Amino acid sequence: MKRTTLAVIALAVTAGLGLTGCAGAAGPAEPQAADGKTKLTVSVWNYAGTPEFKALFDGYEASHPNVDIEPVDILADDYPQKVTTMLAGGDTTDVLTMKNVIDYSRYANNGQLQEINSVVDKVGKDNLASIDAFDINGKYFAAPYRQDFWLLYYNKDLFKAAGVEDPKDLTWEKYTELAKKLTSQADGKKVYGTYHHIWRSVVQAISAAQNGADQNSGEYGYFQDQYNTALDLQKSGATLDFGTAKSQKTSYRTMFESGQAAMMPMGTWYISSLLQAKKDGKTNVNWGLAPMPQKNDDGKVTTFGSPTAFAVNKNAAHSDEAKKFIEWAAGEEGAKAISKIGVVPALQNDSVTAEYFKLDGMPTDELSKKAFTPGDTALEMPVSDKSAATDKILNQEHELIMVGEKSVTDGIAEMDKRVKSEVLGQ
Amino acid sequence: MTTETITPTPAPALSRGNRKQARRNTLIGWTFILPNFLGFLAFTLIPVLAAFALSFMEWTSFSAPKWVGLANFQRMFASDSFWIALRNTVVYALGHVPLTMALALILAMLLNRKLKGIGFFRVAIFFPYITSLVAVAVVWNMLFSPDTGPINQFLHAVGIAEAPGWTSSSDWALPAVIITSVWRDMGYYMVLYLAGLQAIPTELYEAAEVDGASAWQRFWNVTIPSLRPTTFFVVVMLTVSSFKVFDLIVVMTNGGPGRSTTVLSQLIYQEGIGEGKFGYSSAISLVLFIIVLTITVLQFKIQQRRER
Repeated sequence: MKRTTLAVIALAVTAGLGLTGCAGAAGPAEPQAADGKTKLTVSVWNYAGTPEFKALFDGYEASHPNVDIEPVDILADDYPQKVTTMLAGGDTTDVLTMKNVIDYSRYANNGQLQEINSVVDKVGKDNLASIDAFDINGKYFAAPYRQDFWLLYYNKDLFKAAGVEDPKDLTWEKYTELAKKLTSQADGKKVYGTYHHIWRSVVQAISAAQNGADQNSGEYGYFQDQYNTALDLQKSGATLDFGTAKSQKTSYRTMFESGQAAMMPMGTWYISSLLQAKKDGKTNVNWGLAPMPQKNDDGKVTTFGSPTAFAVNKNAAHSDEAKKFIEWAAGEEGAKAISKIGVVPALQNDSVTAEYFKLDGMPTDELSKKAFTPGDTALEMPVSDKSAATDKILNQEHELIMVGEKSVTDGIAEMDKRVKSEVLGQ
Repeated sequence: MTTETITPTPAPALSRGNRKQARRNTLIGWTFILPNFLGFLAFTLIPVLAAFALSFMEWTSFSAPKWVGLANFQRMFASDSFWIALRNTVVYALGHVPLTMALALILAMLLNRKLKGIGFFRVAIFFPYITSLVAVAVVWNMLFSPDTGPINQFLHAVGIAEAPGWTSSSDWALPAVIITSVWRDMGYYMVLYLAGLQAIPTELYEAAEVDGASAWQRFWNVTIPSLRPTTFFVVVMLTVSSFKVFDLIVVMTNGGPGRSTTVLSQLIYQEGIGEGKFGYSSAISLVLFIIVLTITVLQFKIQQRRER
């Protein structure tokens, strides 16, 4: 028996210590100057599925024959963790793509990035949307090349069928009314007036932007109205209910492209996929863009968004080349290169916007163009070392409110309490 | 962990040649386990020890670790999230272990006979275990869907008006996860029980029958005691795996709604990999390690007492 017991111990220990490995991209090999070219390495996520990277790299290589760009491809879900691990290990990848500003502030404040004020100055601060997000005491450690913001996608055919006008100058009240009007059940096919995806930003970030509030403050009373709107839509059946969307892992793309949703608040990143889906014949949805619904009826449009930026690694093997690349990518050349595939560049001027709307398949009506120039774009989440922890709490409580387990008041009280105690240490 | 080095009993008065031979044998033995042991050392043992050390430090991976003593543990025991995750982990284990064991044993008894086509049923029951876990989670999520899912459609059909919201309800999300994991794991443990059942000598049953024991008595007095070693192994393995559950929960509910299905291993991931608090998350993993170790040692003690 003793021997079996030993074997069992050995087995149990091995099972207990078994590590679940996580798949990640292999680190880049040491860049070598092959055939006299400089090998510039850039960290990217999901290279095959994110065409903007290829568009930028091909464009840059075409005008800079002495440079060979090598993407360091990382799984999108693991991206922030993987980059953190790389940096902690002294990796020498030249250019690091900043997927969001929260990660940016972490790397920059930890001294992992090179200051690139000269690059930002050359591109021109005035033209770069959301450049302020990258300002750390007057120093810039990254330059944004793309800027996504939220607007309202709508299905023109469903609007015509319901005999309602295009969604111009919407307030949240009008939007709710419209959504209820557009909801229908015809021969077994349910059409929802709108689709609110399960992300907390759909309720919280827009509310913070339109109230000029800070999501790290620990005071969330201003969420109240937005939650009431969201729950009202859900109760009346004008949008798919949260619990169902969550357990079925509903895809917002399917909801919109299959004509199950007449409206949908979503980020501009969806434009390029929508264009692609139409090109591939996967959908024939006749879509348009409108500004996000507003809190006030004063004609001003406030929305939220998040920029994506390039930074130079402190340990970069080719710092100068890296800076040159970023200057090109964040500048007009780079902006036009990604506009061609439907990605919204951070550099905004009339010629870039005009270029953008020349895209094959883009709606060309005035309202869509207007949607493209919001008055004010707040950051989705403030740049702070507290954002990650706050984000987790707000997300947990958001779920409980949306599945109806907590009243809006109780949920908000819990957010206040938890952010204050767990994050702000009050 | 104790490892016994098994030394061969020395023959009286070893000649020099023999001693040389013995040393060579030892060396050969070591070289055989070396490749595997090196991997274990580099990727398991050293990181585990490093994590224990990190429990008493604050480290954000960009700067050198800072010694903070018991601060991480103080923070942990004062935090709601830790206690909620601990409670969820224990509830999960209390549901998952006995249910999986009972079902695996019942299935093993049912399938322990010589019938044509019995192999098909055994494979069918074992199949969930080798199916991709993500696929399992996604499919069960669809089955559990509150309005349109087949499970609730069925419950409505048999007259239950207020069917549970399953993964979209705090009270039912953990049971939903437990049901899924039991369904997934029972096939594997059934195979273990089958092996155990087939090792029981038929003479025992025959003798019991001659003595006039009923089927129930035969099960209770022959099958159960004979399966004791198997049961012990199953309990240990199930307990350890229950406390380490991570992937199924991440894909099914991601700890939600709210924190109702967040378990310890997920908290370790969120705090460490997600928010970069490596010291704090190492402290949580140390606590998890101690819990699992204590339970396992207890199980061994109980088993040893039984064997005497």
